[in-house]
Amino acid sequence: MGYVAVTAGEEIIERAEQLFEKQRVDDNVDALGVDQIEGQLGRLTGQAMSEGGLYAPRLAALAVKQAQGDTVEAAFLLRAYRSTLERFDATATVDPGEMIASRRVSPAFKDVPGGQILGATKDYTQRLLDFDLLEGEPGDPTAEWDLDDEGDPERLTTVTELLRSEGLLHEPEEPERDEPNDTTRESVTHPPERDEVLQELARGETGAVTALGYSALRGYGQVHPTLAEVRVGRLPVRIEHPYTGEDVTVTHTEITESEAVVPVYEKRADPQFAFGYGLTFGRNERKAIGMTVLDASIQLDSEAEPAERAEFVLDTVDGMDSFGFIEHLKLPHYVTFQSILDRIRAIRERQGLSDDGRVADDQPADSAVAEASDDD
Amino acid sequence: MVDPHDRSDRFELIAACEEGTLARFANNVLADDPPLSVRQEPRPQLLLQQVRDPVERRPFNLGEVVVTPAEVDLDGTRGFAMLPGKAERAALSGAIVDAAVAAGHAETPEIVAALEDVDARQREQRRRDWAESKHTAVEFETMEGQE
Repeated sequence: MGYVAVTAGEEIIERAEQLFEKQRVDDNVDALGVDQIEGQLGRLTGQAMSEGGLYAPRLAALAVKQAQGDTVEAAFLLRAYRSTLERFDATATVDPGEMIASRRVSPAFKDVPGGQILGATKDYTQRLLDFDLLEGEPGDPTAEWDLDDEGDPERLTTVTELLRSEGLLHEPEEPERDEPNDTTRESVTHPPERDEVLQELARGETGAVTALGYSALRGYGQVHPTLAEVRVGRLPVRIEHPYTGEDVTVTHTEITESEAVVPVYEKRADPQFAFGYGLTFGRNERKAIGMTVLDASIQLDSEAEPAERAEFVLDTVDGMDSFGFIEHLKLPHYVTFQSILDRIRAIRERQGLSDDGRVADDQPADSAVAEASDDD
Repeated sequence: MVDPHDRSDRFELIAACEEGTLARFANNVLADDPPLSVRQEPRPQLLLQQVRDPVERRPFNLGEVVVTPAEVDLDGTRGFAMLPGKAERAALSGAIVDAAVAAGHAETPEIVAALEDVDARQREQRRRDWAESKHTAVEFETMEGQE
């Protein structure tokens, strides 16, 4: 059954849109500025950028405002905007070890070189509503800090480097190709290359990545990793300067990175560690960790569990795809439904289940019939 | 120490400079109506950020970054700038400023001083951020013998 166009009053559709826009300006409260969203709701804009696969903090704040806080809708707006732009070039390939970290914790190594830096987090505090915020902002709680001069930021040794220096992590083979496939331009074919998996997971929907990663921990998989480290920081965006030919930094992207030691591989003959890896735009630790679990799970390449099947994970993890498919169901499907209704009536009539095989017009559709309206 | 007279260093400082500052200098440079041609219109474009996966040491595409590049020819001297985000006015101003310094325009000392100020503020911010982060460094103690 194909699609059949329906018509409705354009003016009515505009009215519905106006009613939506009105919700943002209702209640006589101050309008939320894009600067406020960018500055104070960084997790939200970070999530929109991560799932949109597009780093643009101010535009992400605009998208969040326009979408009234719906992150997937905001990510959709960013991807739509992206599709209108030309690509200047790819950046110089950057090593995440170059990250200027503002937070780095290692659950695996207590005495990790460079130290455990908690950074800005409420991880170790109770999750209680702070009613004082109803009265306004209490001011900068760090204003009285007596800071030591720590000099310029240090490059922190990563746990990967540490393990590799001790021979506990395998030396990778030379890649068969230098340029990674860009999954936004060329569809992923299965089995996917590792670079394709990482790109797709990096722009996956946070809830989906978290849920699928959780499924592996919950028993639907073999991977239960120990996190080698979780880092938050800024990664340089470099291009080759067109005049000097030197690599120059345009800006930095705020990113979250996670690496995990995966003990399941200890069963192999070679007693080295294997790793799971996660990296994504914005401050989003649960997504980066979920991505790490999925990267490690996919490497098992098993049909046994959902999280270990690359095709299953990559087919379900993208927010735009799932958003589109799920939400399209609320669009008119009248012809689809009428067709199914006619079929059911005919069957019922043949089987003598009703006098004329008709459902009374004022009765709700049978739920089994409604669920069967899968036309596409 | 970065040098605003060096083209690569100047590119990075212009990329980090505020739009208002760049626009002011660009207006001053254009006040005498020098010959100016825009070689590349300032339009938002994408940079595909490639990162090396530390496990397999293979590059992958993390995502795209919105930037606005622009290129001008100012009285026979080229200027190029790229600003983060959607920043048409800042990018065009930046390209004019880049060309002006390359050509030794009379405005150069003021531009150089402003770009050195950008560098100083960036360094101070980085040191401040790092000091704040280090202020939260912790040493976890294992509680041996305790369940």
